[in-house]
Amino acid sequence: MDYKYIEQLLERYWECQTTLEEEAILRTFFRQEDVPASLLPYRQLFIEEDEMAEEHLSKDFQNKMLRLVGEEVPVQVCKARKVTFMRRCRPFYRAAGLIAILLTIGNAAHQSFTDDDAVQEPQMAENIPIDSLHQITIGQPEQQSAELTSQPIDTLDVFPR
Amino acid sequence: MENISFRTTVLPLSDRLFRLALRITMNRAEAEDVVQDTLLKVWEHRNEWEQINNLEAFAIATCRNRALDIVKRAGRKTENLDEMAHFSSQTPHEQLEANEQISLVRRLVDELPEVQRTIMLLRDIEGKTYQEIAEMLDINETQVKVYLHRARTKIKEKLKNGL
Repeated sequence: MDYKYIEQLLERYWECQTTLEEEAILRTFFRQEDVPASLLPYRQLFIEEDEMAEEHLSKDFQNKMLRLVGEEVPVQVCKARKVTFMRRCRPFYRAAGLIAILLTIGNAAHQSFTDDDAVQEPQMAENIPIDSLHQITIGQPEQQSAELTSQPIDTLDVFPR
Repeated sequence: MENISFRTTVLPLSDRLFRLALRITMNRAEAEDVVQDTLLKVWEHRNEWEQINNLEAFAIATCRNRALDIVKRAGRKTENLDEMAHFSSQTPHEQLEANEQISLVRRLVDELPEVQRTIMLLRDIEGKTYQEIAEMLDINETQVKVYLHRARTKIKEKLKNGL
């Protein structure tokens, strides 16, 4: 990146030949982190001048001065607002609603998990109808299945007794 | 003619006056007293506000004179804020730690002669034109530039040589 313009501005700054606008450009440039090494020694000057511009009086100083010259001190007015019983209970309704939603989701999740697990339960497996087990055994022994395919289809005993 | 009031025209100058007083007295409590005295003095002249050409310049000049009076009356030079800290009851170790944190540039600025420091503050921190500064300090623009040039050159040399 070419920093020639900034270098020229800086030279003019030392010579007091810069305008306030040009000095603002320099200030903005030096506020950034990425400053080339050749210009780095001067960065701190602009940074600390920014910090010095932030020095200010305590907050109550202005009120003290207004009192000293007999002017009215601005008072922050808080308007009282009427709050109905229903409005006051609104946080409880919200909390109750949230709990209800959480319970519903929790129940649903619990139920779906217990359904999946049920198939793997040994007791449940015993209750599976015997016919469907027969269907499963058809394709299992290769030798038996080869014998079956060689027979005419009408003589096939698909469900051995 | 714009409507001048203490609340809307004079009071907003407080922080600016405070920064100037602080750089001269090097003491926050004294600087606050100086601002209070300055604002009360401006208030005393409220019947002349319409005739005063530049109320801010008037306040700045009053503030500077008041701050210089305090420093002179206390019989001290306008030491920098960090030197003032050396008189505190810190242990040497605490002082060392504090010194490391002290802003080096601020120390350089505070070591400048008062008029150079004030001009640098008015130009670089308060963003005043050479003409405004000349009016505030009752000198001409060329003198303002000469003082500022000296101040900036000193700072530049110190920064260039690694402080």
